[in-house]
Amino acid sequence: MNGGGYFGRYGGCYVPEVLIPALEQMAQGFEEIKSDPVFLEEFYTTLREINGRPTAFTPLPRISEKLGGARLFMKNEGLNHTGAHKINHCIGQALLAKRLGKKRIIAETGAGQHGYASAAVCARLGLDCTVYMGRKDYERQRPNVYWMELLGAKVVAVDDGSQTLNDAVIAAFKDWVANPESFYLLGSAVGPHPFPAMNTFFQKIVGEEIREQCLTETGKLPDYCLACVGGGSNAMGIFYDFLDEQSVQLIGVEAGGRGMQPGEHASKVQRGVEGIFEGYHSYFLQDGTGNIAGTHSVSAGLDYCGVSPILAYLADEKRIQFESASDEEALAAVQMVAREEGFILALESAHAFAHAFKLAPQCSPDEVIVINASGRGEKDLFITMRHFQEESLLTYAQYLLK
Amino acid sequence: MSHLVLGYPTLQESIATAEQYIAAGYEILELQIPFSHPTADGPVITQACRDAVEKGNITVEDCLGALAGIREKYPDQEIIVMTYLNRIFAFGLERFCLEMEALGIQHIIVPDLPVDSPQAHTILAQKVQLVPVLAANVHPERLDKLLGMGFDFFYLMSDFKITGSTFSLHPRLQEVIERIKTANPLARVGIGFGISTAEQVRLVTTHADYAIIGSTLIKAKMEGRLAEVMADLAV
Repeated sequence: MNGGGYFGRYGGCYVPEVLIPALEQMAQGFEEIKSDPVFLEEFYTTLREINGRPTAFTPLPRISEKLGGARLFMKNEGLNHTGAHKINHCIGQALLAKRLGKKRIIAETGAGQHGYASAAVCARLGLDCTVYMGRKDYERQRPNVYWMELLGAKVVAVDDGSQTLNDAVIAAFKDWVANPESFYLLGSAVGPHPFPAMNTFFQKIVGEEIREQCLTETGKLPDYCLACVGGGSNAMGIFYDFLDEQSVQLIGVEAGGRGMQPGEHASKVQRGVEGIFEGYHSYFLQDGTGNIAGTHSVSAGLDYCGVSPILAYLADEKRIQFESASDEEALAAVQMVAREEGFILALESAHAFAHAFKLAPQCSPDEVIVINASGRGEKDLFITMRHFQEESLLTYAQYLLK
Repeated sequence: MSHLVLGYPTLQESIATAEQYIAAGYEILELQIPFSHPTADGPVITQACRDAVEKGNITVEDCLGALAGIREKYPDQEIIVMTYLNRIFAFGLERFCLEMEALGIQHIIVPDLPVDSPQAHTILAQKVQLVPVLAANVHPERLDKLLGMGFDFFYLMSDFKITGSTFSLHPRLQEVIERIKTANPLARVGIGFGISTAEQVRLVTTHADYAIIGSTLIKAKMEGRLAEVMADLAV
């Protein structure tokens, strides 16, 4: 990172002047806590107490054998409290908000995982919490809305635009413009400086744990690390600690959706163009005239138009390779991991697994692939059930209506 | 100073509205090039931008054509162009600045472009000037830095809110204006966001050089009450 939160030419802090004092205060706070042993002790203690970290490093022997080739392992971030890696950066940011004397938190959410984690952490720390969620996500991730509300958060459904994550981010920014004394707890490694660097800092524990666990389990570092890429928080979490290990190949898997036509996918690095939006310079899906284009993914958490500026930079530098997996491939991966290994993956994470299953047979048996299972799949109940057992879902819905 | 979204509801109608503003004697026209996701605007302007982009497929080129038409008819009318960074980043920043210069437009407002970012430097190397959009929370050191950069037009947000919100005037704005005027007596200051009555226009212009009216006029246009609302706003 060079000055002002730039990664090469990506990143930066492109916000209305009214938000600059709040972001400067946040950036300064982040610089202080990075090397403050008292803060870091509290952060790591909280991760241990709430999430039971370190999370498990789990071999996938049956799938490895079935596919032939590399040995597969998953880093099970789904074991975190609230079901995904998101709570790692929520804890970090909320502790920073407390330290800065903030009383009110604003957050956006796509799949609901970041909102759910934010609501839980805010409840624990006694912070007021408002979560913005696109109407489409609000409807399709209803269980998470319920959990957020049970945890005392105010959940606002956003009716603008495509009613997904992008619109939730904009609504959250507008709230922040009207309430610059609030703390915006942003949910991915995107947005204006310091968010990309800060969320990476709070997530890098994932890769640090993998380093140790993989050495213990296999006697070597991974040959491949894979993560799904929406905004990029779980990907930066697994990748960061291995950036300087040239032997470790890093692969980000984007949402291929229903196909590569515009509006049918969310593959920003592979199909997007450079732009500056929502506070940062990166790759965005656009219409060719500078407007932001629509996205689609079966997984709400990947259904977003932009990507972390750090990932954009590392893609250009060819340090991270980008692939995509379709909706169907992700759903098939959910089913395969459930049946063969006994884990129900979040649809987001399943994209990374889908690519790993293509890669593994091309590898030798002494190679190790580690996949970030960024979240567990209970939140997708109604989406996957509709796909796998529509009849049962309809019967259950009728039962509930009785 | 009055604002409209080019291409809403159609390019022709937006040009006609601009002419209506000129006829009513608004000193400055603020013409917005629509962007799909206007992150600092409230529901009224967002809707107008979305309609212009989605229904009208309005491009930057279309807007430049409209501006050229207005300029030809009204060579001395002061026009400020407003848009969001990604739209002109995609068009080409230098190319956009040259187009502005050719149209005799001296100021542009890009709310999501901090004036000390690399892209702002590209713009500032050209003739067109950026208008910083500030609020009452601007730190004095930050303001002094901007004043040192030679800006001569400042847009102040009436309060902490998005465009089209209920009007209020933040008490600290007066200090900001005084600091600007002390450093550069020739600098002009406009206040916008939420102004919807003649009384508010009068109040704002006791502090600033211009009251900037946007959402109120666009909403009036949407409701077919533009002439009536413009008459109500006259001071």
